[in-house]
Amino acid sequence: MVKYFFRRLIQLAVVAFIISVLIFLLVHLLPGNPATVILGPNDTAHNQAVLFKQLGLNKPLFQQYLTWLGSVFHGNFGQSYLNHESVTHIIATGWPIDLELIIISQVVAFAVAIPLALFTSRRPNRPIDNVSTTGTFGLLALPPFVIAPVMVAVFAVSLHWFPATGYVPFTQAPATNLHDMILPSLAITAGSIAVYYRLFRSDLISTLQEDFITMARSKGMSTRWIMWRHAFRPSSFSLLAAAGVNIGALIGGLFIVEYLFAINGLGYSLVLAVQQRDYLVVQGISLVIAIVYVLLQFLIDFIFTMVDPRVTRE
Amino acid sequence: MALGAGSSSLLAGCSSSPSGSSSTTTAGGAQPGVGTGSPVRGGALTIGTIAEIDGFYPPSNHWDTNGFLYANTVFDPLMAVAADGTTQPYLCKSMTSNSTFDVWTMTLRPNIKFHDGSHLTSTVVQANFTALKASALTGPALKQLASVTAPDSMTVVYTLTGPNPTFPSGLTTQVGYVVAESMIQASANTTGTLVPVGTGPFVYDTWQQNDFFTATRNPNYWQNGFPYLDSITFKPIPDTSARESTLRSGGVDMIESALPTTITNFSGSGGTGYQLVDSRTGVIGEPTFAFIMLNTIVPPTDDLSIRQALAKGMNQKEVQTIIGGPPAQPANGIFLPSSPYYKDPDYPTFDPAGATALVNAYKAKHGTPTLNLLTIPDPVEIKVVQAVQQMWEQVGFSVTVSEVEQAEIIDDFVFGKFQAVTSYQFGAVNPDLNYVWWSTTTISPLGSIGLNFTRLDDPELETAMLEGRHTTDQAVRVAAYQKVNDRLAKDLPYLWLEQYLFSEVATPRVQNFNNLVLPNGMKGYSFDEGIFFPHQTWLAAG
Amino acid sequence: MPDDRELKQTGNSARLVADRFPGTAALDELVTAVETEPMGADDVLAKKPLGLLFWLAVGWVGLIVILAIIANLLPLPNPDFQNYNALNAPPSIHHLLGTDDLGRDLLSRVIYGARVSLIVGFVSVAIGLLVGGTLGLISGYKGGVLDVSLNAGAFVLLAFPAIVAVIAIVAFWGQTLWKITLILGVAVIPLLYRVVRASSLSFSNRDFVIAAKTMGASTSRIIFREILPNVIPVAVTFGLLTVAGVIVIEGSLAFLGLSVPLPTPSWGNIIEEGASNGNLQTNPYIMLWPVITMFLLLLSINLIGDRLRQRFDIRESLI
Repeated sequence: MVKYFFRRLIQLAVVAFIISVLIFLLVHLLPGNPATVILGPNDTAHNQAVLFKQLGLNKPLFQQYLTWLGSVFHGNFGQSYLNHESVTHIIATGWPIDLELIIISQVVAFAVAIPLALFTSRRPNRPIDNVSTTGTFGLLALPPFVIAPVMVAVFAVSLHWFPATGYVPFTQAPATNLHDMILPSLAITAGSIAVYYRLFRSDLISTLQEDFITMARSKGMSTRWIMWRHAFRPSSFSLLAAAGVNIGALIGGLFIVEYLFAINGLGYSLVLAVQQRDYLVVQGISLVIAIVYVLLQFLIDFIFTMVDPRVTRE
Repeated sequence: MALGAGSSSLLAGCSSSPSGSSSTTTAGGAQPGVGTGSPVRGGALTIGTIAEIDGFYPPSNHWDTNGFLYANTVFDPLMAVAADGTTQPYLCKSMTSNSTFDVWTMTLRPNIKFHDGSHLTSTVVQANFTALKASALTGPALKQLASVTAPDSMTVVYTLTGPNPTFPSGLTTQVGYVVAESMIQASANTTGTLVPVGTGPFVYDTWQQNDFFTATRNPNYWQNGFPYLDSITFKPIPDTSARESTLRSGGVDMIESALPTTITNFSGSGGTGYQLVDSRTGVIGEPTFAFIMLNTIVPPTDDLSIRQALAKGMNQKEVQTIIGGPPAQPANGIFLPSSPYYKDPDYPTFDPAGATALVNAYKAKHGTPTLNLLTIPDPVEIKVVQAVQQMWEQVGFSVTVSEVEQAEIIDDFVFGKFQAVTSYQFGAVNPDLNYVWWSTTTISPLGSIGLNFTRLDDPELETAMLEGRHTTDQAVRVAAYQKVNDRLAKDLPYLWLEQYLFSEVATPRVQNFNNLVLPNGMKGYSFDEGIFFPHQTWLAAG
Repeated sequence: MPDDRELKQTGNSARLVADRFPGTAALDELVTAVETEPMGADDVLAKKPLGLLFWLAVGWVGLIVILAIIANLLPLPNPDFQNYNALNAPPSIHHLLGTDDLGRDLLSRVIYGARVSLIVGFVSVAIGLLVGGTLGLISGYKGGVLDVSLNAGAFVLLAFPAIVAVIAIVAFWGQTLWKITLILGVAVIPLLYRVVRASSLSFSNRDFVIAAKTMGASTSRIIFREILPNVIPVAVTFGLLTVAGVIVIEGSLAFLGLSVPLPTPSWGNIIEEGASNGNLQTNPYIMLWPVITMFLLLLSINLIGDRLRQRFDIRESLI
């Protein structure tokens, strides 16, 4: 067991290291640099040189990387070149937003997909099943950048039910926070509903064919009881797998919703930082995102090995 | 926003109309932004802004329209512009010069305290200027400042390298904002740019980057009786549609906008119940313009006939329609037709036939002229460049369009790595503030950094600008800047598009945000292209 | 046969053991769950004709593809031509779908825009399948060091915040249709690698493969004659779903200005145009037409993929 965790830790470290190097190289590839962004049009050759020195940008690349890596190990991710806000602070205020978006959207997705799948898997190919199938595929065909502007136009601008932008931290005002996050979360949820519904339904149908289900039925148990007790648990594994993959994919895609709703999550901050050549912010946030992704995969993996008796570890 | 020195209190500016009027009136028939009834104390004002600022420390941060909005809550500038265009003392008590305009003496007001309790003395002002001069960012603007001394605690003496009657107007800009000594010292650490400590009507409370900024009432503010509000909060909302929606749905009390479409959206029936103030009228000095900048030393734009063809081939009226918003004045120079400085500068008009002829002549010698037009990824700019691309292709150019991020485009400007690029600039209370962009002394070869982005080398223009700076005779001044405008129309480094329109829209509750009265009782220039002073604003009950 | 992996079969579905390298287990579960549709109602359906909905979907995809190909030959106005006298015009006989805020014909722009979406979608997935699929096919069968290292590489690529890479590469390299297609193609390689690998792995342990091995067949013969034909249905299904995904990604990139350069139309940048500058209030048609077209295309692709999956999953009949 300890060996298992230890090996996972090594793998995490290796992946994180590789990604940090790649990101570092990528941002330094970009034309333009923080000095020009800071100085703006009030640029002179002398000033650029001075600023470069002040920011430590005149040192050779690998030295800059090692300096950064060293300070990361001390818990210091550096500051933004533009406004000197500490990167740790940016990350600390940003990640709750992403977490909340993911939680709300996935909860809604499960709340819709699971009951629907439970319902239609017992009536395969009947009209309700076909409608649901097509309907959920339809949801897959409505990406966030389509849903978001329309929702804003309808619910925010016309009906004034929800705000078009804005965010209040949960700890500050829970009700307002949830209220403001509804539209952005719904923009993300559509695709997830489709994925979970399709998967859960097919897995349920598969499980329902199995011998032990037939046996339960022959014993006289009600269908609903069977579904809940015997079909749900095994089938939920594939759902778990899908959740892991889906959330992993979502993490990378949150930026578009954050951008459309002017929410300051990590995705949006990352894109802004790249555009402003704020190297340290980019490196810090990228590293955190990558680590979160890896940990998520590990977690799903671990849960699988623990809960599904049909799966064995080596 | 250019930094630099400007007009003195002796010379009149050029505005004769009331500052920033609009076409929408409030329900009571009152002027928008002018308070009716008696001031109400208390309340929290929320304003949706165009962008987040990058910090509160003048020597190292970059204040544009937005930046000054934030700055005016926690700081005070030494000087301010009056409605008649003159520069008047604001934080300072008086400002006088010697007869040769190269030594300026400033008297401070006694008993003014910063938010941290320290006193405003001449030593503090001196420390501010030392930091400003040492900074890579603000240093160039203060090149004319030879030294700053503090003979006694309430007197500051500025010694310039040469005569400049317009020096005080520079103190209405970023370099005129005074911060506490503790902030200067803290600037060495992280928090230096984050926590503002000034003399202003509001005291810093919270700042959540890209989220909101809040400042609360300063009970010891030196302008007695002000401010009325308990607190002021800024929320940056970069997308203009979202910002407008947030105002309409009640998420904020007031918004700023740099898009002309906001003006149309809040005029007429769309503006019922809102107060609209915009910069179509009442701009003092040179308004901000949107234009296309041409590089005068790379082909094909190094050829004057090509620049003329580009100007003649562009249907300015059509471009203005595409930009949207209210009908715009023709833009043919740095002054609007409504400005007292204005004299028709013979800028080329839309003449596709003439343009095609010029292009054909060029083609015969050099082949088809090709051009890459750059822009930042801004939705309106993108529309504009696509339209301009088609217009130029119709007269014979071969044009491609590229979107370049802000970070990179600044690089392209300073290094001269462009042929044609969209930009907006030149809003200045005093034309001399724009000297650095057009001077022969700020030209650098391609590949080196130079502030004269277009690399325009025109000695006549240079002479005219210097004349405008040094003279004390208003008539000579006006003539000099008209000459500058003529030269620009002749050399064509800029293809003018439209005045860049700023606007403020507020709900009826927000009272008196456009009615600045200066400490000496004069009417102030309240709506300086999107900026306002918040201490005389109040929120009506209800 | 790799000796550090073990297969357990229960009932109809094969579950894989959690590999030495993480991440794949979850996806492999997903793949096998989806691909091994049971002998149940869906299989009954599979024996039936593919259905009206399927053929409608095929029809729509076919229509879009054909229109995109022959766009030049159609009597359409130039999609980039701006008619300043017809800004934001509603649908009429001159402009069947109306015009946008620069006076350009929307029908023409949507059809030309289809080219971008189809090319970006299909070619990038083709790249992904070619590279990722081949690697996955081989890796799933051979296992060993190759498998572990490719898995590691795929995992790193997937953990990488792709948006940074896209912004950086586009800024540095340039922004043309083919460059963007290539970038996205590289981005989907790890996805398709994992899917094909999981499928290849599950087939590698089947009787018919073991039989072939026993009979002395060479590795390449086994891979390409025995395993590949069985993997193709999975590859095609997931490939189709990935096409849908890439078309959506192009749309998101357009919102950041990272799609094809102006004024070339793509569905993504027409939608972006329709959502900005207040166009949604003044001229909702700009956004409406590409959304409807894209919606129907994505829906069709998903339906086709789904039906094909049902059809091809009766593997028992192939053995």
